[in-house]
Amino acid sequence: MSLKRLLTVMAVAALLVLGVAACGDDDDSGNGGGSADAAAQTTDDAGTSNSSGGTVSIVASVPPTDHGWLGAISKNAQAAADRYDDVDFRLLEAADADSQAQQIEQVISDRPDAQRAEAAGIPVINVDRLFTAPDAATATILGDNYQIGVLAADYIADRLRCEGNVVEIQGLAGISVTTERTRGFVDQLRKACPDGGIEIVARQPGDFNPDTGLRVMETILQAQDQIDAVYTHDDDMAQGVVQAIRNAGRDDDMFLTGVGGSQDAMDQIREGGLYAATFLYNPNMAASAVNMARLIALGEGLPELVPPEVPRQLVVPAATVTQDNVADYEQYAFN
Amino acid sequence: MAPTLEVRGLVKEYPGVKALKGVDFAVQAGEVHCLLGPNGAGKSTLIKCVSGVVEPTAGEILLDGKPLPVGKPAASLERGVATIYQELDLVEELTVAQSVFLAHEPRRGPFLDLDRMRRDAAALLRRLGHERIDPRKRIGELRPAARQVVSIARALSHDVRLLIMDEPSAVLDDGEIETLFEVVRRLTAEGVAVVYISHRLDEIRRIGDRVTVLTDGRTAATGLPAATPTERLVELMVGRAVEQLYPERARAAATDDAEPLLDVRGLRRMPDVRGISLQVGAGEVVGLGGLVGSGRTELLRLIYGLDRPDDGEVRVRGRRLPPGRPDRAIAAGLGLAPEDRKSQGLLLDWSLAKNVSLSDLARFQRGLLNVRAERAAAREQLRRLQTVPDDPERIVRELSGGNQQKVVLARWLLHHCRVLLLDEPTRGVDVATKAELYRVIADLAAAGVALLVVSSDNGELVGMCDRILVMREGAVVFEVDGAHASERELLRHAVAPTETADLIEEVR
Amino acid sequence: MSTQSAGDRQAAPPTGEPLTERRLGAFRLQEYALVIVVILLFVAGAILKPDTFPTIDNVRNMLTQASVVGVLAIGMTFVIATAGIDLSVGSALAAAGMFGGILVDPEGSTLLFIAGAIFFATLIGSINAIAIAYGRVVPFIATLAMFSIARGVALLLNDKLPVGLLDLNGGSFGDPAAFSLLWFGTGRIFGIPVSVYVFLGIVIGGWIVLNRTRYGRYVVAVGGNREAARIAGVPVRRTILSVYVLMGVLVGVAAVLLCARLGSASPVSGNLYELDAIGAVVIGGTSLAGGRATIFGTFLGVLTFALIFSLMTQMDLSTEVQQVVKGGIVLGAVLLQRPEAKL
Repeated sequence: MSLKRLLTVMAVAALLVLGVAACGDDDDSGNGGGSADAAAQTTDDAGTSNSSGGTVSIVASVPPTDHGWLGAISKNAQAAADRYDDVDFRLLEAADADSQAQQIEQVISDRPDAQRAEAAGIPVINVDRLFTAPDAATATILGDNYQIGVLAADYIADRLRCEGNVVEIQGLAGISVTTERTRGFVDQLRKACPDGGIEIVARQPGDFNPDTGLRVMETILQAQDQIDAVYTHDDDMAQGVVQAIRNAGRDDDMFLTGVGGSQDAMDQIREGGLYAATFLYNPNMAASAVNMARLIALGEGLPELVPPEVPRQLVVPAATVTQDNVADYEQYAFN
Repeated sequence: MAPTLEVRGLVKEYPGVKALKGVDFAVQAGEVHCLLGPNGAGKSTLIKCVSGVVEPTAGEILLDGKPLPVGKPAASLERGVATIYQELDLVEELTVAQSVFLAHEPRRGPFLDLDRMRRDAAALLRRLGHERIDPRKRIGELRPAARQVVSIARALSHDVRLLIMDEPSAVLDDGEIETLFEVVRRLTAEGVAVVYISHRLDEIRRIGDRVTVLTDGRTAATGLPAATPTERLVELMVGRAVEQLYPERARAAATDDAEPLLDVRGLRRMPDVRGISLQVGAGEVVGLGGLVGSGRTELLRLIYGLDRPDDGEVRVRGRRLPPGRPDRAIAAGLGLAPEDRKSQGLLLDWSLAKNVSLSDLARFQRGLLNVRAERAAAREQLRRLQTVPDDPERIVRELSGGNQQKVVLARWLLHHCRVLLLDEPTRGVDVATKAELYRVIADLAAAGVALLVVSSDNGELVGMCDRILVMREGAVVFEVDGAHASERELLRHAVAPTETADLIEEVR
Repeated sequence: MSTQSAGDRQAAPPTGEPLTERRLGAFRLQEYALVIVVILLFVAGAILKPDTFPTIDNVRNMLTQASVVGVLAIGMTFVIATAGIDLSVGSALAAAGMFGGILVDPEGSTLLFIAGAIFFATLIGSINAIAIAYGRVVPFIATLAMFSIARGVALLLNDKLPVGLLDLNGGSFGDPAAFSLLWFGTGRIFGIPVSVYVFLGIVIGGWIVLNRTRYGRYVVAVGGNREAARIAGVPVRRTILSVYVLMGVLVGVAAVLLCARLGSASPVSGNLYELDAIGAVVIGGTSLAGGRATIFGTFLGVLTFALIFSLMTQMDLSTEVQQVVKGGIVLGAVLLQRPEAKL
């Protein structure tokens, strides 16, 4: 997973409630707590929302797309929007929650009939968590960090047969994404290996960048004679971890997992060896979000549901990518 | 009636050093009592004890007959002891009113009462005869003389019984000094006792009632009338009869044929310097007199290249100097001892050696710096000037003003400077060291160096210079041969015509 | 000739002993204090982690890790000595690495990478230098702006993606060919990592320049009292210009060392390195106000931080605890210097 993604996250499409925009804040510490959300309004000459003939205007508010995953999100959202004739899609980059709120307010006030849209109530769709107030979002599409930890634990426990030393290199310490990934990992290890046998001998943050990952892993390699597996929270960061292991000549002694699905990671997984697996949730959830936003704006719902409506929370499953199935996932790799 | 201040048997010891060895000293109400003594005699320590900054080892200090709590500046202040230091402790950014009431501002509830602050400040300034100073002006905008008045006003803002002034006239010119004396007289008329520390014997005669001479931590003499002859005072200070202050000089004869070492033509930089031309020949000492603000310092800066002139040129040994390039001036043989030696002339936290060598480091560099050679060369120059201490590894900050000035001169001696520009070289220097500096100047001239000396001490100019020029408002208004000059005449030309009459009366 | 008593001083120092530059109180005490801190840290590590801390391998590791920030810190010492500061070094490091990286992508030589990285870093340093020396922009502001600009450039150069440099190897991992890029990261000469040689070489070179050349004297003079330096004939503007250019060169060197170890150039690397560099310089005893600088102190400061990181990571302390401990040690080191130190 990309740094930015974990820090703030998500592009979203939806209608924005003014009040919601004002309290939009996410619950992670550190910088960049901006949520990505979007305002969508339907307008036509009459200036009222309607579900026929009007254009759905969708604005996606995203953190600065300086990382591959986030870039992928934006591309996917754009591509989804392009498929519809009645969708007018705009992408705004904002560096933090405050800028986001400002931009969104700007967008709303740009619209001549913003007042009426307000009155109509503008729902927000959040992608991958974010608002502290759970009611603030009309609908949420979540990737599941907890589940990523679970999948990683399963994979590692299975390969090690519940016996061995594991090193965990986290992302940015203190944010919810990190704590969720660790929690999922620890909980699942306990379940998968009820008699114990796997010990987490070191857990240090790598700050989502490769040179920190490098430095931290170099030092841990000094401290730990026996390491069997390394569980990292991010593919990009993992490149530094990998290099540290290689420089120490210990790449045959262990294997490593990442998160996110970067092209580099996929390549190394395909080749086999140290880099064994990665876990990701799909950037395509952005496309889903755009679709959902459009549905809401048009007052429609998912036809498969009875009655058709837009569900409040959609949890998109994470996937385990290993050498066996890497070919299937390469299309989603971000680069 | 009990004296306002009485000091009995005051002793102050530091580890290894006895700064005060039993000082007795008394000041009456309404008296201006002058404190004289060479540097290191203990004057600063004495007043620090009285003002509570330093705690004495033994002895007592009585204010109006009652003992003063020691080591507590706030208590001294409360009892009415205020000190004006030589380095005025004013903050440039604050206004006059703010400075006067710093740390005891009038309040209205939790807020500052700004109106009252301004009014009270104005009242204090009026009391000092300086109602022209605007309480709303920032300190940074005021001239040194005005800043000093603000310092005094601040002292007055507490109920002052005893005012201690440390070298107050150092930054003032003759006109401003007279105004200062006016202020002092007003205060003593109100019954305030004043302790006045100064090196300038003529001032002591003008403003003082009695004199105490301190040497080596002891009272050499106290209660002397201010009219005591100079030689006696100097003798008491130095511990022996001192030779004449100004050395005999073979005055350089004016040689028209020889090319002047320094040739300044039409140098102009508005509004401070308005077209000055002058020449200084080898072995000549030319003085520049005039009031503070007449443009003398600015002229030196222009010659040296610190500022760029609007017009005019400077030639050294016939070669024209590129304007605004101090490094080229130095290469051509110029040297400058600036007005404020501490902030402009020296790097206070550096060693003597490093300060001395700074302008001529190429001499010691062959690949790398030869630190030992540097140290030796510095020591040689410092010894020549009889600098105390002369250990090149010592820190400059530790030296007295006079010796710091010697370090500055040592730098130019090392560099074999041909033309020396001296800006107030003896300011803040005690009498004994002044004599040494005059000797140095005379020796340099005898060796063929051309010297241009700016000084506010007309007596000094008369005593030292071959020729004296007087500047007023950016132009040279008078020139006289050193042998025929008189201080009175110099003062007359320095001052604008309308003020002349009043001042002439005051000059003895 | 004149009587001298109690030394001819205006203010007798409390100790009564003469202050010479060799003993200018705080300055030297500061360096000794840090030596003690370094020794204490090493001893603590030997006690807490006897099998893995005081080993040659770990010492090699710590010194290697210290090299990157260490090189930056030496340059920073010169900058701070002039009473300046450079907040852009971390971003510039990333940008320099990226520039070198795109030059050799998809193929190129180690020499091209190194030349490119150092060139680009020097360019950035020169822009800082001109803005500060000629544009009269305050160093804090100028380098803060560059901090942002350089990071942006680093991200733009390869569209936010890192550049792999593994083929500039020539040998195998852990044993790269001599003078290939990776050799600068993990290669060894007589058992000592190449980057440590580079670091120590720069430390020694820095000391010589600062203390035994005219230029070094000028640098400290400019910081100590700019006006007095100017009056003494020091080329002030040129000196200020030079320290930022010099910093740029060293940033380039640091970028090479980092990329060599990382095996790639990453646009998000170097994050907050400037704070580490400045921290090392300051606890080493160089004054932020300029005029007083010590290379040896900076070297000790760098070692201190490297020891702290290694020990706490080996002990697997949580981030929160690490932050408190690190802050505490820094504060302690500074307090030890306080009595005579003038900030």
